[in-house]
Amino acid sequence: MRVSPRGRQSSSAVLIYLIVLMSLQLFLITVAAEAWLTDEAALAWSTAAVSVVLFGCAAAFLRYLRP
Amino acid sequence: MADDDSAVEGAEPAWKRDFPYEAAAEEEVTRREFARYLVLGTGALAIGNIGLAAWTQLRRVAGGEPRAIVALADLPIGATHLFRYPTEADPAVMLRVSEDQFVAFSQKCTHLGCVVYHQPERDRWHCPCHKGDFDAISGAVLSGPPTRPLDQIVLEVRPDGFVWALGREVKA
Repeated sequence: MRVSPRGRQSSSAVLIYLIVLMSLQLFLITVAAEAWLTDEAALAWSTAAVSVVLFGCAAAFLRYLRP
Repeated sequence: MADDDSAVEGAEPAWKRDFPYEAAAEEEVTRREFARYLVLGTGALAIGNIGLAAWTQLRRVAGGEPRAIVALADLPIGATHLFRYPTEADPAVMLRVSEDQFVAFSQKCTHLGCVVYHQPERDRWHCPCHKGDFDAISGAVLSGPPTRPLDQIVLEVRPDGFVWALGREVKA
């Protein structure tokens, strides 16, 4: 199936967004590890909440990707 | 076309069935597959974050059971005693300040969990990793990167001649 330049651009944009979200998740897991080391439960829970939101965003972006 | 298999989404097209061959590019990961892997990765990391948060919460809840730590006669004034409380994974340290005053803290620095030790000449707890300092009596932060005091172990001197730990107090 031929893909229009516009469609290719949008799928590239979605991929870039997903890579950025993945990078943020990696950052958040280090924050959670630091919270675990220092027994900061509040920080650990807020990190987990943001992480779940990012996962939701990533799943939503997947819907924009052309099948 | 009703008789064309390729009309059905996901089905193998007729030409491929008649002339089966595989191009090298077919082994490559498509954009959508790559994106799906990324989403699965973010999901796994989110689950990991939740697990770490739950683990951190459960560790904080463990306040500890009352337990005899050290005999009064075994701890001279100004000396420290290392022990583990509330669990075997939690190093703690007790300081005998005077004849009848004892203080005990978790030995984990509140910055990144390094072990703190007593510096009698400076009258403070010192973390060698990032040069954090805590007050010897209150455990309050004096200098360095830590932002909260050391977790304190509540102590009681009982008539049996032992110092007892009653629980761990996490300070904000």
